[in-house]
This record gives sequence, structure tokens and C-alpha cells, in this order.
Amino acid sequence: MSGFFDAGPAGTVATWVAALVTVGVWAYAVGERRIFRLAQYLLAGLATGYLVLLAVRDVLLPRLVEPLLADPTGNLLLWPALALVLALAAARWLPRPVVAVPVAALVAATAAFALGGAVVGTVLPQAAAAVVRPGTDAGGLVNGALALAITVLVLVAFVHGVPRGRLLGGAASAGRIALLGGIGGWLGFLVVSRLSLLVDRVDFLLFDWLGLTR
Amino acid sequence: MTSPVAWRPRLDRSSVADRRVLLPVLLLLVLGVMVLADRAGRPEAVSLPNPDREPLSQWNAALAALPSRPLVLVGMDPDLGTYPEIRAVTRAVLADLAREGARLAFISFTPDGRAVAAAELARLRNQLVLDAGFVAGAEAGLVLAVSDPLPDGATGAVAEAVADRGGGMAAFDAVLIVGGSDFGPRPWVEQVGPRIPDLPLLAIAPSFTYPELAPYLRTGQLKALLATVRDGAAYVSQSAGQPPLSAGTMPDQPPPALAMLAGMLVALVVVVRGLVTRGPRAGEADAPDEGDAS
Repeated sequence: MSGFFDAGPAGTVATWVAALVTVGVWAYAVGERRIFRLAQYLLAGLATGYLVLLAVRDVLLPRLVEPLLADPTGNLLLWPALALVLALAAARWLPRPVVAVPVAALVAATAAFALGGAVVGTVLPQAAAAVVRPGTDAGGLVNGALALAITVLVLVAFVHGVPRGRLLGGAASAGRIALLGGIGGWLGFLVVSRLSLLVDRVDFLLFDWLGLTR
Repeated sequence: MTSPVAWRPRLDRSSVADRRVLLPVLLLLVLGVMVLADRAGRPEAVSLPNPDREPLSQWNAALAALPSRPLVLVGMDPDLGTYPEIRAVTRAVLADLAREGARLAFISFTPDGRAVAAAELARLRNQLVLDAGFVAGAEAGLVLAVSDPLPDGATGAVAEAVADRGGGMAAFDAVLIVGGSDFGPRPWVEQVGPRIPDLPLLAIAPSFTYPELAPYLRTGQLKALLATVRDGAAYVSQSAGQPPLSAGTMPDQPPPALAMLAGMLVALVVVVRGLVTRGPRAGEADAPDEGDAS
């Protein structure tokens, strides 16, 4: 039970809408495209409206407009922020060099945070954890050796543009097989994940919509 | 003279179309029957909870290590498409934390997460909960929240407790991360972990993120992780029998085991069939070519 809809009339209407849209989306599987397309438009429209509402109500008003109105001289850093927002909003009518400034700031900041975090939070700790330390038991040694071997083989599989001998070619083939094995394992998790969503929808239709009792 | 190919048995277009309609309908019917059978009988032979209790033990140990009435920051960023998979375990964990007197603050960095957080906050309305709202900027917003996780003017017992401890994210005893495909535990590990190494990070995430997150659990960057349907079901079954959190809220249930089994069998059949045929699908291969009507 999703538990998102209350027991009142609004909840009943919401349950019916959700059920009909679910059936409409499933109709695509049997070749009915029109209802599916309608559901797509509905989703796109609702998502866009929700995003605009969220941006205005939770970001622009409380973090930009209200502080500026309350204390225009005390929040000097917000003025350039406002200029960047306006430049993005009016991107269609402004020259490209002007629009490039906020876009560049956005992309650069996102990339910097993501890259810095990936190195400090993932690459270094994971590399440190992969090192087999003195005093590790036999199981740990085998695990470490296997991890090292698989990592090397997969990296070799990505070596292109250099002549490959028999040894390197064999290692690359083994690396590709290891890579496919990993992708297969991930696909298994994905199937379970998606299947649980489908089963949840069936559960919703049977119990929340049709009202069967458990 | 007629070539041998012309004598091959073939499916006409209508039978191919019928089969394409029939298969999805049949699958849904099978799943529906299995859901009903599971919910009616709860067969013991097919059980969803993971018999390997290690993930559950890690989770329980991480919760037990928290002080009494802990301050817990809930990073609520599941997406609408995958939240149904982890909804039951998320609600069970939140209910257990609330029963232990935990003081919760909800924060979201994605629009989807904010929508789910708002719905779950409505269910927890009688508990000691603070809505820290939506923070824009994804990972940049997360970094900003490390020093200032609560919105300006936040009031109440949770906000006061956080302010008493210095006001930053380090004021919390733990972070419960409810992740999705857009923004999961990984950004928390990468951005918050190095900045506040002593802050325990506990994560709930959909199954398909498990291969990405398992290494963080092994290195201790995540203290505990519930990221498979079976681990989630194990936690829900552990919490079964607890009184409801508040009037009008029902405990959620994990997916029915029989339906999951039937679905996995169908998926296996599809994979094996694809491996055996290893070519264009029968319907496409056997469909009559243009100009071959005679």
C-alpha cells in the first residue's frame, strides 16, 4: 500500500487517477500508443510545473528575492547572483558571451565539486582499501589478488591503438569477459529492482484501487 | 521452381500481433494471481527476507551505537520511479527511529526527493521532526549544507538542539540517506565523508545501486546499507508487529515473494530464449517480405 492517498474523496480521486494512468501506460505494451502519449504529456507537464513551483517557492524567493528586499546593502553578494539568474532567464534574447558567463560558472562549479569529491571520497579510499596489508589472512590475500587481477585485466581490455601480442590479446579478452560478467551482475540487480516496481503497481491496482482485502 | 525457403512455416502479421498483446497481459495476470496468493496465504516455502543476516546485523549495530534520542539528519532523495522498491523499509526505519525518540530533520537535494519527503513528513506529522526543505545545487548544495543544513529561521526542538551543538551537519549523531538513481549515498560519501569523517552514514537505496555502494560499505565509509529487496524485506520482517506510528498509518509491506519469484522466472526464460535463438526475433524473421505475397 503506497499510503500516499488519504481516505477522503480527494484520496479516492487520486487513487483512480493513478490507477487509470497506470493502466494507460501499460497499454503501450499491447500497442496502444495514444493513451501512453497522453500520460507522457501529463507527466512532462506536471513535472515542469512542479519544478517551476519548487524553484520559485523554495529557492528564488527565500534565498534571493526576500533577502535582497529585506536588506539590499547587507547582501551584496546576492546582486551578482541575481544578475546571473536574469542572464540565464533571458538567454534567448542576450548575446552568447553574456549567457556564457552563468553557464560556465554552473558547469565549472558542478564539475569541480563532482571531480574533487570523486577523487577524495572514492578513488583514494577505494585504492587504499585495495592494498593488501601485512598480516592479512589467507582469505584476504586471495581476495586482494583476485581484485588486482580482475582490475588489471579489465584495464588491459581498454588498451587500444597499440599492437597486441598473444599475451596482451588474451588478457584483453579475459578482461572483456570479466567486464561482461560485472555488467551481467549489475543487470541482475536492475531486473530485480524493476520487477519489484511492477509488482508494486500490481499490488496497488489490486488492493488500493480494486479494494481487495489482504 | 519453388525455393525451399517458401515452404518454411511462418507466422502471419495478425498472429504475431496477437502474441505481442497476449504475452504482457499474461504476465500481468500471472503476477496478479501471485500477489493475491502471497497476500492471502503467506507461504513459508517462498520467503523474501534475506537469510544472510549480516547486512541487517550491521544496520542494527549502527543504530545501537547511536545515543539515546539521537539527532538524525534524513537525506531524503529517492526518485519517484524507484521509491516503491524501498518505501516499505524506509518507513519501517523511520518508524523505528521515531519510536526510539529520535529527533529527525529531513533535507532534500532533488525535486523528486522533496516530493517524497513532503509525503513522508505528512505521515510523521505527530513526531519530533523538522522539515529542512529543499536545497538547490545538488553536490554544491550538499557541500553548503555541511556547514548550514537548516533553513534560516528554523524553529522547534530539533532546530534548537542542532543550534546548541554548533549548528552544522556535525551536530547530528548520524545521517540516514534514502537514495535514488539521481542522488544517492555516493555524493554523501564523497562530499560529507571527507569533511566530517566521524559522522556515521547509513543508507537505504534501490537494488540496482548495490554494486556501486557495496565498496563503500567494505571500506567503512558507509556504516550500514540496505540496498537489496531481500535486505529490505528482512528489516521489515524484523520490525513486524510493532504498533502503528500514528492513527491512520498502516505498516508497509515488501513486494510479495511469489510474484517476485514468478517475475524472475519469466525474466530468466526471456534471457535463456535470447541466448538460444541468438538472432532476430521469430516474428520479425518470419514476417513476409514486401513483394513476397505471391
